[in-house]
Amino acid sequence: MSHIDSVRTADEQAFIAALRKVFPGERLFVNRENLAPYECDALPVYTTQALAVALAESEQDVVEALQLCKKFGIPVVSRGAGTGLSAGAKPIAGGLLLVTAPMKQILEVDQVAMTARVQPGAINQQLSIASAPHGLYYAPDPSSQIACSIGGNVAENAGGVHCLKYGVTVQNVLSLRLVSAAEENFGEVITLGSNCLSQPGFDLLALVHGSEGGLGIITEVTVKLTPVPEQTRTLMADFGSVRQAADAVSAIVRAGVIPAALEMMDKLAISATEAFCKAGYNLDAAGILLIDLDGHPLEVEAELSIVERVLAESGAIAVHLASDDEQRARWWKGRKSAFPAIGRLTPDYYCIDGTVPRHRIGDVLEASERFAEKYALRVANVFHAGDGNLHPIIMFDGREPDALERTEKLAADILEYCIEVGGTITGEHGVGVEKINQMAVQFSDAELAQFRAIKSALDPHNLLNPDKQIPTLARCQEYRALRSCCG
Amino acid sequence: MADVTSHTVACDISDAIATQVAAAYRGEGDVASICLGGSGSRAAFGLGDQATLSLSGHTGVEDYQPDELTLRARTGTPIAEIEALLNANNQWFAAEIPSPSSSSTLGGAIACGWDGPGRAFGSALRDIVLGCQLVNGRGEIVRFGGQVMKNVAGFDLARLQVGALGTLGAMLDVTLRLQPQPECTKSVAFDVAPEGLDAWWQRTRSLRPLLSGSCYFEGRLHLRFSGRELAVSDVLQQLGGEVSPLDWRALMDLNSAFFHGERLACAYLPRYSSLPLNSGKALVEWEGARVWVRDGDHLALARDVAALGGFVRVMRGPAVSLQGVTSAWHRALKSALDPKGVFNPVHFDRCFTGEGFA
Ligand SMILES: Cc1cc2nc3c(=O)[nH]c(=O)nc-3n(C[C@H](O)[C@H](O)[C@H](O)COP(=O)(O)OP(=O)(O)OC[C@H]3O[C@@H](n4cnc5c(N)ncnc54)[C@H](O)[C@@H]3O)c2cc1C
Repeated sequence: MSHIDSVRTADEQAFIAALRKVFPGERLFVNRENLAPYECDALPVYTTQALAVALAESEQDVVEALQLCKKFGIPVVSRGAGTGLSAGAKPIAGGLLLVTAPMKQILEVDQVAMTARVQPGAINQQLSIASAPHGLYYAPDPSSQIACSIGGNVAENAGGVHCLKYGVTVQNVLSLRLVSAAEENFGEVITLGSNCLSQPGFDLLALVHGSEGGLGIITEVTVKLTPVPEQTRTLMADFGSVRQAADAVSAIVRAGVIPAALEMMDKLAISATEAFCKAGYNLDAAGILLIDLDGHPLEVEAELSIVERVLAESGAIAVHLASDDEQRARWWKGRKSAFPAIGRLTPDYYCIDGTVPRHRIGDVLEASERFAEKYALRVANVFHAGDGNLHPIIMFDGREPDALERTEKLAADILEYCIEVGGTITGEHGVGVEKINQMAVQFSDAELAQFRAIKSALDPHNLLNPDKQIPTLARCQEYRALRSCCG
Repeated sequence: MADVTSHTVACDISDAIATQVAAAYRGEGDVASICLGGSGSRAAFGLGDQATLSLSGHTGVEDYQPDELTLRARTGTPIAEIEALLNANNQWFAAEIPSPSSSSTLGGAIACGWDGPGRAFGSALRDIVLGCQLVNGRGEIVRFGGQVMKNVAGFDLARLQVGALGTLGAMLDVTLRLQPQPECTKSVAFDVAPEGLDAWWQRTRSLRPLLSGSCYFEGRLHLRFSGRELAVSDVLQQLGGEVSPLDWRALMDLNSAFFHGERLACAYLPRYSSLPLNSGKALVEWEGARVWVRDGDHLALARDVAALGGFVRVMRGPAVSLQGVTSAWHRALKSALDPKGVFNPVHFDRCFTGEGFA
C-alpha cells in the first residue's frame, strides 16, 4: 500500500480502481506530483488537490465517470483549459477533476449553414482559424482565446472584445450535448437548443450558459459562425483623464453607433503593455479607447466620421486611425496581452469583473482608486468599456503576510460598489469560489434559495461542482453579519 | 444624462399578484391554479385559455435611459406604448417583438417568445432579455439578471422565461436591451420560382450584415436592408429588383391577410432547408429557416419537417405531437420554480412534458 492509499478511505480506493478501468494509464492521475498542476485555474490564490484527475477523451468517458461519481458519492468538477478567473475549475477535496480539454476536435465546419460542431475542449481561437478559409469566424473572443476551451466558454458565458456588437457566448451557440445529472435521466446525454433558430420547450440552452459546470457536463457544442466583415477600421483615442475617456464611451452610443469593439485601458495598463509588447500606445495618456468599426465599407466610413467627431467633442487629446492591418493587429495584441503584461510588474495579480451601467464607469474607476489607497494596493484597469464590464486588476505581493487578505477586501469593496451603482459582481468570469460572498449582497435569501432549488432539481445528488457559485444560507448570513459589524 | 418617462399609466399591482399566488401555494381560497394572461391579443394563435389572473393592469415604464440602451417596464405595459417612447429617441428594441394588437403586452411577448422576420439576421427576443422580476410559485417576489449589458451572477432565470408560456412564474417586469434605429431601411422584391430559392440563399449570405429580413410569398422574394443610407443604396444598386410593397410590420405582428386562415402552422427548420412547399399556402422567412403554412395538412407537414431536423408549432387547427422536449428537465425546473404547479398547468402539460401537443 502506497503512502497516499493509506490516507484514502476504502471507498475512495474502490472509486479510483473503478475509474482506472475507464481511464487507463496516463489518463488518470492520483499522485501528489501529478495532481499539483491541476490544483487551481488561472486564479492561483485558491488551490485544492483533487482525489483524482481524469482526462476525458469521449462522451462515453464523461458518462461513465459521472455514473461512478454517483455510485461512490464523490463530487466532480469539470475542467476545460483551466483559464477561468473565479476558481470555478478548482478541484474539491476528495473529489474528481474531470478534464474535457483532451476532447478538442473541431468535428465539422458547415460553410453553407455557417455553423461549426466542436468537442468541448476545442480551443476558442482554433475554431476561428478553422473557419477562416470559408470567410467565417467565431465572434466571441475572450482575451484568453489562444488557450480557453469552448466548453469553458459556455460554462462561464464568456465575453470578449467583440461582444458589444456580436453578443457573448449565449448569443452565438445554437445547441449543446450535455450529460445530465437529473434524477429522471441521470447519465443520459441530452441535446439542448437546436439548429432551427428556435426550440420547442424552455430555453434550456440559455440556462446552461454561465452555469459554471453545476448543471451538467458539456460534451459537444454547435456554434454559429459569422462572416468575416468586409472591412474593419480601428481607432485609438488618447485622453487626459479616465473620466473623460469613460464619458466618451456613453457619447459614442448616444450618437447611434454600436462599435464592434470599444475597449479602455488606464495609465498603468498602458505602460505595462507598452513595456511588454511595444503596442504603440501613448505613454502620456491617462486613458485610451480602442475602437473597431466593421461592416460594409460605406457603413464603416460613415460611422468612422461620427465616432471621430464624438471623440474630439469628448476631449480626446489625439485620435489615431490604424493605417493598415499590421498596426491594427499590434494595437489589439497590446490589449489582449494586458493581463500578462501587468503580471510582469507584480508578483501576483487578481482580476475582478464587475459590470455597471456605462455612465457609471467613471465613478467606479475613481472609487476603485480611493479604495485601493485605503488598502495600500495598486489597481490597473483594462476592460470592455462598451459593455460597462470593468476588470480592475489588483496588484499585490502574496509573500507579504496580509496581502491576499487586503486584496480580497479591496475586491469586495469594488464589487459591492458595482452593485450599489446598479451593476453586477460578474459580467463574464463567473462567481466560482471567488465571488461567492458577494452573491449574498447582490441577491436576497429568496433569490438564492431559488437558485439552490434549480441546482438541486437538476443535480439532486449535489455531485456537480458543489459549494461554488451559489452560497448556502448559513454562509450568506455569516457574511452579511460580518459586513454590517465591520464594513 | 436624460431619464425619460413615458405617458403610460403606471400602476404597480405586484403585491396583489404575490398575495394571490401565495394563497394558491398554501392551498387557501378557491384557486389551486392560476392561468396568467395579458391583453389576450395572442388568443387567435393557440393561446386562448381564459386568464384567471391578468397582468394587463401592471403597467408602466420603470426605467429608460437611452444612453444605456436598456429599458425596464412592467409586463402589462402595451408594447405599442413602449415603442412610441423609443421612437421619440430614435431607438427600438434590439430584436423585433411581434405584437398582434396595440394592446399586446410586453409580458405576453416574453411568455410566447415569438420572433420577427429579422431574427435570422440579428437578435432573437431571448438574446435581448437582460433581467426580470417575477413572482415564483411560492408567492415570493424575486429578481434575476440585471440592468446591465452582461451579467453571469447566478443562473440565467430571466432568459428562461422567454417562451415558457408563463408556466414558471408571474413576470412582473423585464429589462431589455435596445439599439439605435438604423439610418435607413429599404426593401426590394424579385420574381423567384420555388426551385430558385436555394440559389438565392447562396446570394443572400453575401448581403450580410445589411440584410435584415427575407420573405418569400406567392412567387416573390422580398429582401429588406437596414443600415447607413450610403451603404444600403450601394447594395441595392448592385442587386437591382423592384421596390417591395411588403408591409414588414404587418408580417412581424402576424396581421397580414396570410395569417387569417382557418389553419395555421409554423415550421422551424435548419437554415437553408428546402421544405417541399406543396401543402396549403406557404410563406418562407429566415432564409428558409421558418415556414408558415396556411390551411395545410399539419400531420404531413410535421412529418416533412421532422425529416429535415425541424419542428412544428400549430397556431390554429389540428395539433401535432411535440417532439424534442427534454421532459425530465422541464419537470425538474417546473418543480423548482413552481413546486405546487400553480402557474398555467394546462400549457405546461400540453407544451413541455413531451406527451402533449402543440
Ligand atoms: C489572460 C486571461 C484573459 C481572459 N480574458 C477573458 C475575457 O476577455 N472574457 C472572458 O469571458 N473571460 C476571460 N478570461 C477567463 C477565462 O478564459 C474564461 O472564463 C473561459 O471561458 C474559461 O474557459 P476554460 O476552458 O479555461 O475553462 P476552465 O477554467 O477550465 O473552467 C471554467 C468553468 O467551466 C466549467 N467547465 C469547463 N469545461 C466544462 C464542461 N465540458 N462542461 C461543463 N462545465 C465545464 C468548469 O467547471 C468551471 O466552472 C480570461 C482569462 C485569462 C487568464
